[in-house]
Amino acid sequence: MAELTVETRDVEGVTLLYPKGFINAHTVRVFEGEIQKVLAQGQFRIVVNCAGLAYIASAGLGAIMGAIEEIRGNGGDLRLANLNDTVRNIFEILGFNHLYRIYPSEVEAITSFRPVGAGS
Amino acid sequence: MAPAASGRSSTRARTTRPRAVKPSVVVCIPSQTSFLGLVREITKRMAESAGFPEATADRLALAVDEATTNVLEHAYRGSDDREVELRIEDRGPEFRVEVIDSGASVDPRAVPRVDLDRYVSERRTGGLGVHLMEKIMDSVTFRRSARRNVCCLVKRKDTPPAR
Repeated sequence: MAELTVETRDVEGVTLLYPKGFINAHTVRVFEGEIQKVLAQGQFRIVVNCAGLAYIASAGLGAIMGAIEEIRGNGGDLRLANLNDTVRNIFEILGFNHLYRIYPSEVEAITSFRPVGAGS
Repeated sequence: MAPAASGRSSTRARTTRPRAVKPSVVVCIPSQTSFLGLVREITKRMAESAGFPEATADRLALAVDEATTNVLEHAYRGSDDREVELRIEDRGPEFRVEVIDSGASVDPRAVPRVDLDRYVSERRTGGLGVHLMEKIMDSVTFRRSARRNVCCLVKRKDTPPAR
């Protein structure tokens, strides 16, 4: 069984990433590779749905950090949804919850990219 | 047969029961990232055996994952034919893990401190591992002993989890 798989799909102009498994120094290249594929397509509005993510080590956080400048520099953002307690705690320990927007659900994360004042 | 659990008879039980041996595990793994999952599993299992709740055991496993990753990346600089020794001990009031390697001497003081305010603008991706270890554990120390690097991680059982 793969230790990490990452599926993607597009919804309303937002690319969703679904990492399943864990992200550490062994699996981080898979995660980085998927992010880079999305950026290469010129897509800079990204939601990482962490529902299937068991845990993330600093290598995974570094991968996000390594891409965020390019994403935000192109007017986009990387937002997170559905963090389990373990992953959320890691984000909070490092203060990453102040650097990234985190949503309880995928729908809320997607909706957050809509222009202010746009209806549902 | 397992001894019957009874709060009222605990004092008597202690006087007649042989002193319990605290679990201790020594594991040697190849210097390959594919073994990090195993490191995590063993650490988590030992932490739970030592009495930590699952959430804390998860964090302790992460700290040991980070310490081992540091060895692979810095002390061994990516060489996959070396060995990392892990000594995991339940020492009663504290849970202790030593991560030992025979690689290059690494000065932990050289690890840059994490400044989250400047992190994005400087596009830094390193230094998070040590920071995470220090946040999770009560003590993280590095020493050089017998030409080996020893990273010692200690978590006391009476301290609240990292916030």
